[in-house]
Amino acid sequence: MAGALESVWDASEFVPHGVCLLWRPDILALHVGADSLIGLSYFSIPLALLYFVHRRRDIAFGWVAVLFAVFILACGTTHFFNIWTLWNADYVTEAVIKGFTALVSLLTAVTLWLLMPRLLALPSPRQMAEANEALQREIEIRRQAEQRYSGFFNNLGEALFIVSVRPDGQFVYDAINPALARVTGLDPERLRGRLVTEALDPSLAGDILPRYTECRDGGVPVDYEETLDLPAGRRVFHTVLVPVRDADGRVSQILGSGRDVTERKRFQEDLVQTTKMATLGTLAAGMAHEMSQPLNVIRLWIENALDRLRAGATDPVRLERTMTLVIEQTERMGKLIDHVRTFGRRDGGGQCDFAPAGSVRSAVDLVRHQYGLENIDLREELPPQAVTGGAAELVVRGRPLQLEQVVLNLLANARDAVLARRAAGDEAAGRIEVAVRDDATLGVAVIQVTDDGGGIDPAILPRIFDPFFTTKDVGKGSGLGLSIGYGIIDSMNGRIEAVNVELGGGRRGVRFTITLPVQPLAPQDRELSHA
Amino acid sequence: MPDPFHILVAEDEALAAMALEDFLSIKGFRVTLAGDGIEAMERYAEDPADALITDLRMPRMDGHALIREMRARHVTLPVLVMTGFLTQDTDLTDERWKPLEILSKPVNPQTILETLRRMLGVPRTA
Repeated sequence: MAGALESVWDASEFVPHGVCLLWRPDILALHVGADSLIGLSYFSIPLALLYFVHRRRDIAFGWVAVLFAVFILACGTTHFFNIWTLWNADYVTEAVIKGFTALVSLLTAVTLWLLMPRLLALPSPRQMAEANEALQREIEIRRQAEQRYSGFFNNLGEALFIVSVRPDGQFVYDAINPALARVTGLDPERLRGRLVTEALDPSLAGDILPRYTECRDGGVPVDYEETLDLPAGRRVFHTVLVPVRDADGRVSQILGSGRDVTERKRFQEDLVQTTKMATLGTLAAGMAHEMSQPLNVIRLWIENALDRLRAGATDPVRLERTMTLVIEQTERMGKLIDHVRTFGRRDGGGQCDFAPAGSVRSAVDLVRHQYGLENIDLREELPPQAVTGGAAELVVRGRPLQLEQVVLNLLANARDAVLARRAAGDEAAGRIEVAVRDDATLGVAVIQVTDDGGGIDPAILPRIFDPFFTTKDVGKGSGLGLSIGYGIIDSMNGRIEAVNVELGGGRRGVRFTITLPVQPLAPQDRELSHA
Repeated sequence: MPDPFHILVAEDEALAAMALEDFLSIKGFRVTLAGDGIEAMERYAEDPADALITDLRMPRMDGHALIREMRARHVTLPVLVMTGFLTQDTDLTDERWKPLEILSKPVNPQTILETLRRMLGVPRTA
């Protein structure tokens, strides 16, 4: 076996290649020259290739260049070996070199074909240029869009702000727009990139942060009205916060917009005051009548007592009765005056928890006598607790006097409807029913005012809560009563609706229903006795 | 001595009615009280009066209706209206309701007395 291997390597029987060429100097020179040039070139090309790959490290498929280099180097070597075998018959070594070259060539050829689809997919310089151009255009479009949106952000009258939510949950101001800076008096430079707790006054931050937290934790838009004490003064904002989620679904940013509604709020309050005055105007005649009654009684009794005194009759029992009666009548007048006083003043105080039945009863008491004189049967149905003054009565949140104003307005409308119905010839009209119900299961208090004044034309029913809409003659109604009532009930998070109802016996009318959400009982700030 | 004048007082405010009754009785009138217009019509039917003192706003039948009813029945007695309203009732100043006088509440009883006497044609004595 070992002998066989040795015989393969044994080249002693071969003759050098030059012998085949008969040692002709010209042919030899040509072979040597050509092989040398080919070999040198073949040695140079891979160097250049490797150098290129080395310098351009970003080039795709660099390892293929290494394969090429090895294959070309091997080819070069075979050419140099051709020169060697002209004089030395080392054909076995030459065969081995050729065999290696063949393997590398084959590998390179196969690899090249296998790589072909991916190589074809490589972008050509022209494609690259086109892509670059497209990219430039895209950048330009983006730049314009950016300009447009920054124009929005910077020029919109709405106060806009962007708050980042850090991974630890803290809030950082990204940007505030000039409108926000203008209306709040806050300095954008002092806010940008700073924690809300550090950038703002502690009391202001204390007002704002719970909302941000609500938006962050809830992950849904938050919409609210807030009154803030700012460097620019006290302002009322209607603010909307919108959460922005990152890829993981975490709220990473909050987009905020605030509208300064300070003036609008003031206007609304003025409107409420205006209708209050209008309602007061229509009540003035009734009030004058109510006041004249006790005054008349006092005058008559005092005159009688005086006459008797002058005639020498000093019956102490009769005198005492007169005095007591006078005191009672002045008290009756005092109550009326108190009522007008509280009704006329701006109900500026904050909201409180109170029993709605109290407001209803006050409104009913105010008109009961007047309506009685007009033969209007005013019936009230209050929850049993309200009558007995028990503590189990449900409370709602708002301003008791405002609710009273709404009920008074409904009563006035009901009365007008009844009187109009009578004027139209229906003498049967004349009952107004007022009911207050507590629905503990639904968590609402329901107030209903039902008249039998014939009802409202269904065509206009949807419009009755519109401001300035009135069915009354010019000068008779401002058209604001119901709309203000709507606003008041809305501010209590309640609802007011009107439907036409059949009351049986051919009686028809309108039923107004006020639904108010009841508050969880908080005994410390309950106002049981109505002002 | 002639029979005293009979005055019908229609007034729903009981205390005012009582005081008027007291006052007019002292001044020599015979007084009948009624709480509303319908009762006043009934009292009048039972015992006709020489003059009527009436409030305007009353339950069941108010002063206006009472005067209308009276005049519709050709009852020509003098009517003295006491009202608590701000404005003068233009309807009541019409000729067809006369003889009729309007006094605003609170009323001076002396004025009531003088007006009554004038309307009844009694010389000013007391």
